[in-house]
Amino acid sequence: MMTDDTTDTAALRARQPRFHGLESGHRACQGCGEALAARLVTEATGPDIVVANATGCLEVFSTPYPESAWRVPWVHSLFENAAAVASGVEAALKAQGRRSKVVAMGGDGGTFDIGFQALSGMLERMHDVLYVCYDNEAYMNTGVQRSSSTPHAASTTTSPAGKARMGKRHLKKDLLSIIAAHHIPYAASASVAFPADLKRKVRRAMQIEGPTFLLVHSPCPLGWGHDSALTVEIARRGVDCGLFPLVELERGKVTGVMPIRTPRPVADYLKLQKRFGHLFDDDDHRAREEREHLQALAEHNIDTYGLRGTDSDPFDTAGADTVRRGGLGQ
Amino acid sequence: MLEALEGSQAVARAVALCRPQVVAAYPITPQTHIVENISKLVAEGRLDCELVSVESEFSAASVALGAAATGARAYTASSSQGILLMTEVLYNIAGLRLPMVLTCANRAVGAPINIWNDQSDSMSVRDAGWIQLHCADNQEAVDATIQAFRITQNTELPVMVCMDGFVLTHTLETLEMPEQALVDRYLPPFSFPRALDPHRPISMGTLVGPDHFTEVRHSHHQALLRAKEEIVAADRDWAALSGRAGGGLLTVEGPEDARTAVLAMGSVVGTLRDAMEVFPQRRKVKLIKLRSFRPFPAEELRAACAGVKDLVVLERAVSPGLGGIVATEARAALAPTKRPRVLGFAVGLGGRDVPLETYPRLMEALGEEPPPEGFRILDVALERLSAEDR
Amino acid sequence: MSTPITRGAYAEPGSSLAFKTGTWRSARPVHKHWAAPCHAACPAGEDAQAWLAHLQEGHARAAWEALVQANPMPAVTGRVCPHPCETACNRGRYDEAVAIHALERRLGDEAIRHGWDYPAAPRGAGGGVAVVGAGPAGLSAAYHLRRRGYAVTLFDALPEAGGLLRSAIPMTRLPRAVLDAEVERILALGVDTRFRHALGRDVDLAELRAGFDAVFLAPGAGRSRAWDVDGAVPADHHSGLALLREWIDHGALPQPMPRSVAIHGGGNTAVDLARVLKRAGVPEVHVVTASGLPGPDADPGDVLNVVPREFDEAVEEGIVFHDHRTLQRLLMRGSKVVGVEMVRLRKLPDGRGRKARIAFEGTETVLEVDMVVPAIGEVVDPTGFERLIGQGSYFKADPWGAIGHDGVWVGGDARGDRGTVSAAIGDGRRAAIAIDAAREGREPDEAPRDVIGFQSLNLAYFEPAPRARPPVLPPERRDDVTEIEGSLEHAAIGREALRCFSCGNCMACDNCWTLCPDSAVIKTVETASDGSHYLFDLDYCKGCGLCAHECPCGFIRMVPEY
Repeated sequence: MMTDDTTDTAALRARQPRFHGLESGHRACQGCGEALAARLVTEATGPDIVVANATGCLEVFSTPYPESAWRVPWVHSLFENAAAVASGVEAALKAQGRRSKVVAMGGDGGTFDIGFQALSGMLERMHDVLYVCYDNEAYMNTGVQRSSSTPHAASTTTSPAGKARMGKRHLKKDLLSIIAAHHIPYAASASVAFPADLKRKVRRAMQIEGPTFLLVHSPCPLGWGHDSALTVEIARRGVDCGLFPLVELERGKVTGVMPIRTPRPVADYLKLQKRFGHLFDDDDHRAREEREHLQALAEHNIDTYGLRGTDSDPFDTAGADTVRRGGLGQ
Repeated sequence: MLEALEGSQAVARAVALCRPQVVAAYPITPQTHIVENISKLVAEGRLDCELVSVESEFSAASVALGAAATGARAYTASSSQGILLMTEVLYNIAGLRLPMVLTCANRAVGAPINIWNDQSDSMSVRDAGWIQLHCADNQEAVDATIQAFRITQNTELPVMVCMDGFVLTHTLETLEMPEQALVDRYLPPFSFPRALDPHRPISMGTLVGPDHFTEVRHSHHQALLRAKEEIVAADRDWAALSGRAGGGLLTVEGPEDARTAVLAMGSVVGTLRDAMEVFPQRRKVKLIKLRSFRPFPAEELRAACAGVKDLVVLERAVSPGLGGIVATEARAALAPTKRPRVLGFAVGLGGRDVPLETYPRLMEALGEEPPPEGFRILDVALERLSAEDR
Repeated sequence: MSTPITRGAYAEPGSSLAFKTGTWRSARPVHKHWAAPCHAACPAGEDAQAWLAHLQEGHARAAWEALVQANPMPAVTGRVCPHPCETACNRGRYDEAVAIHALERRLGDEAIRHGWDYPAAPRGAGGGVAVVGAGPAGLSAAYHLRRRGYAVTLFDALPEAGGLLRSAIPMTRLPRAVLDAEVERILALGVDTRFRHALGRDVDLAELRAGFDAVFLAPGAGRSRAWDVDGAVPADHHSGLALLREWIDHGALPQPMPRSVAIHGGGNTAVDLARVLKRAGVPEVHVVTASGLPGPDADPGDVLNVVPREFDEAVEEGIVFHDHRTLQRLLMRGSKVVGVEMVRLRKLPDGRGRKARIAFEGTETVLEVDMVVPAIGEVVDPTGFERLIGQGSYFKADPWGAIGHDGVWVGGDARGDRGTVSAAIGDGRRAAIAIDAAREGREPDEAPRDVIGFQSLNLAYFEPAPRARPPVLPPERRDDVTEIEGSLEHAAIGREALRCFSCGNCMACDNCWTLCPDSAVIKTVETASDGSHYLFDLDYCKGCGLCAHECPCGFIRMVPEY
């Protein structure tokens, strides 16, 4: 059904049985994975947080003055300092004897690249901050330029595929391992395709006093070149093929993985996205080679993290997002 | 109580008297001693605050920003490259209208790398939207630091207290450290109505488009202009309590009917004061100590220069390709009047000593024929440069 | 600008609601209530998805009440129906079909055990209807008419109701207590019964048409189809149905017992008789059928018309099936059969829109048997309504059972195009609808919903789970009276119900609500009245289509707007 003139949507919105930290009316593109991820994260954190947001799509689409989509206290300063601002917020709350949790948010540009130093500092100083990186694997806010998180062979406006190049020449930075090497209590990866798992990880991090980190795979229809309806489908395939492993690390040690019951071929993931379109040119031997390269990277992940599932594991990729009549609760 | 303290130590003690809740800093010469002294106070349990030892000046300013936005009294300090590394954040703090205090231990900006004093660093961020107060000596630095916390709270504009590196920060002076009770009487507990708070979850740092940006900038500009009143009031109230005034926006010393004036900021004011005694001139000369560089007290300067024929501006920074920065601004401020001739000189760049003889050389320069151009570096040894670099 | 610009340009929480992103949309999501394939495939008209939904919520009685909206005899059909619902079940293309029959049977048994009553029927609203034949079609018509408020008089030649359920289905498949309970419950709705009343003998059709507002004929197909093999017939041959009835009614077996028997036919009669004979000690029992055998790749239109598990059990018990074959010749020694010649055949299109049986020369084989039993189906015994049926073996009727005579409807096996108990039950239900419509002077109508296909579901949200297997007596413990297939154990009920994909129907899983990047799906149990718990807030929906793609049930689709 849909709302009509007689529907008191404001009242209904006020009575939603889940807290929505990110309200409607934001200006994210249709099917934005980051908007979805940010809403899921705030659903899991609840209202008692303070958010420090790095410059990026999320910041821009959520707060075009005089409007804001946020229902949590939120501050945006700069591209590269979300972790440091969050550190300051946390220090202030501590000094004031307030107990709200601080959540820093940034895209892969603000996290893997320009804000990396501030993030490392925040982790080293053991601030009680959950840092969430919405990983859409390129600088989307400025028009899809490559970042150190862009996967190998993906075409972006600064790593375009052409006669002489097959997209990005370098590999996706293994940020999670670097983060985990800070010996922090908890670092994990999650995906918008597995919202229950994502929210569980957020809740887990919220309970830990100290720095925690969550890397959320968040497809970008515009930057990746896919239909807006396929955001979750693509995220799911990204996990199912092994290119984006869902893992949890505590004090640098892998303590949890979401096993993949039936790994999908990487091509199933790639072929839905224009950024990998050049890898499907049958006349180009390099296309096949790069596809195989990505397949090998996925298999490497599967081996490294031990992602091969067994039929009896209910928390693998085939069971983690199972739905039930009447929903899954909060 | 009179105490013999190093400038940095004195400032650290002054900061502590203001009960900051969050201090974030990254060491850089010559600011280092300030941070070390604050750390020591914290370590000894004499200062109860969150001391965040960050990994860069950029983060130092950012941590202070976050703390200020959360409603905490925040403080940081830096110098030179550190100030420049902070620049983006400094603009941000001011644009968000966040109250906090920063001590700039003034130092030259490289390259070439140079750790000694001049004021190129704070000059480079003069348009960031901060209040900038300059201190002539360490007592002034102590008093200005305390006043800065009040000014920032009342104006919601960040305040940069500038003190010359080494010349002040590393110099032992006998000065009066105020009692805690006095400071507490002067400085009410910090409160910030826009503080980040889950009970009133506003969004700070929004994307402001062409529809609103002009008005936001205008109000920021107006706030700085209006801050002049608060700077004066803060000084007056502090004087009433402590018996010491810092000099409001600017102060004028010397004969009222002098036709010649020398304007300076920072420790060089003390040098000039002494030189005027050592090298008395036939002509009457007055000394203008500019304390508030931002907001720039144009009106007050015009009043101070009433009847003045020659205004000599002595400064420790250069805007290459233009010349004197303070001189240019003074010239602009005086433009609406039957203005005096404004002669700009830079001295003491990168820590070069500014001897008492500087003053008689300035006075000589006034008589040169043809009259000197609008600006020159007074103590440059041209003969040490090759012909094409002179 | 009415409100002043804030200091430092801060914004108020949730103020983005002022910006209606719904204007960006070029397609909007709508809820579409489809028919699940199980529903569409059920000859009785049962909406299995709907009652499974109640069962998923743990409400067995509500599930049973939803079930009996269409089918009053779930304990019977859960046992004897070949469940085309399971063949159609989308889950079958994912792992294995939902064991709908086992759940249906369990619900039926629960109702009997707890004495659940049908939902209350209105009284005396309609007129009087005569129902001829108390088999599944007649019982179903009586039930549906009673629930619509009609007075029903039920005629049958036999002393008890049940029709072929009683006369032709072994107790090993349908315990009589179960049949009796469900029949009793229908009759207890206030059906006036006239047993031992045969049409044409004890009562006259004209009499019925005069005495009642409507007549529903469901006499069944009780006469075995004429049979010969290339013109030859063994002197002592008996039809399969006759042998089966003899055995069911009197425990009688053919004498002398054959050593090896070929049963010709591919229906329940053939298979049931084969199993009876095998159990009675006949060493070799063969079933020769023109149809194919059930299996994963079988064409549903080409397989034996038996309950698939019955076939499996028969094979287990040692029955030998010869598929895609027919009898071409009887090998006789004198008047005694000593064997049959079989030939391979296929039903192939004949170029005129029908299928013809084509035998393939050179594929002949000989089977040595000393008895041949035809079980190739039954036709209507026309006694009593010769004028209505004319020269045909069956009635020709429209989907509602109308045969072109005012006030008379026909259903069940007498139509010839049916063949299952469920189809007969469906006929009874549709006839009740038609009778009701005719009384009000309108055309009967039952707007079918579009059937949702497998491709419209999002299967990522379902976990593979093995189908529940009811306990089955091992072959060595099977006898002539004990039911072979047991009831699902209690724990398996919920598990199995949860395997239902809820095809085309909202299961309130929250996916759309969880996954909308724009928070444009509002959850509200009270305000949404379309079977879902959600409203699309078109003020903010940008039309990305994510909800539609991620709906596990295919309940959401995108409709272009401009």
